[in-house]
Amino acid sequence: MGAAVDHVSPMGMSGGSAEGNNKSDGQRFSCKNKLTALVVDNGAVCRAIQTALLRSYGVETEAVETGEAAVQLIASGATFNLIIIEMLLPVLNGPETARQIRAMGAQSKILGISAFFDERHQQEFLAAGADRFIEKPLSPEIVIPIIWVLDN
Amino acid sequence: MERNQMRRQLALMRQSFFDQGFLDEQFIQLEELQDDANPNFVEEVVTLYYRDSSRLILNIDQALERNPLDFNKLDNYMHQFKGSSTSIGAKKVKAECTQFREYCKAGNSEGCMRTFQQLKKEYAILKRKLEAYFQQARQAGPLETACRSRN
Repeated sequence: MGAAVDHVSPMGMSGGSAEGNNKSDGQRFSCKNKLTALVVDNGAVCRAIQTALLRSYGVETEAVETGEAAVQLIASGATFNLIIIEMLLPVLNGPETARQIRAMGAQSKILGISAFFDERHQQEFLAAGADRFIEKPLSPEIVIPIIWVLDN
Repeated sequence: MERNQMRRQLALMRQSFFDQGFLDEQFIQLEELQDDANPNFVEEVVTLYYRDSSRLILNIDQALERNPLDFNKLDNYMHQFKGSSTSIGAKKVKAECTQFREYCKAGNSEGCMRTFQQLKKEYAILKRKLEAYFQQARQAGPLETACRSRN
């Protein structure tokens, strides 16, 4: 684990290979079409990271803190190709948020996400209309295929 | 000359974080999100993490003083803590979060309290290491080679 020391730069971009990730040739995957995403998470750190990750692939991304804010946004006419919703949101929880978004007719791909994988939570999310449920962190391995499908 | 020396040291420091299990590959994901548009992304996110987490730690400490413990509440706090710790690649902290949750689920007060003490230790150790790292990085100065460009 970890890149070879000689090629690691501080704050780094590793010059080499090591992780065999999506950019071994230095080019980062980027979507061709205009794609939009919404991140719904009450944690600032997760919001910041998920937003930055999606944006790094060329996806126009917004982030809100609560399920209610997400519902309001969509009720006001905003549409998103992808919506990522944290499970344990304070008032309107993840599944409930997903349910309300679906009830408004949104066709977005909805990803339920949580710090701990829990089958019960997965079932709740899927029953509410989410397409998938994953454990954090939101990784390139998960997100790139999703973006690719949306893009094509 | 001296700068190169500093950079080498910095790279070794960084490598040790991975070798010693303090950080995992998720930290590398953060580094890869840093570019010309977000030149201080890693430090900013880590700073945000420490700011947010200190509040959570306080809440959990207070919750652990209750008798009996409200395991549901503790679980919710830990949920957020694990989420952010995982997202920055804080490997040891994340492991303690997982352990804590197991004790919550089992209703084991002693286990929770013990694990939380350990968690706080790991958290503090990582914080010191990362603070030193960012400070050294600032002294070593920015790299001349351009960051990967986004197109």
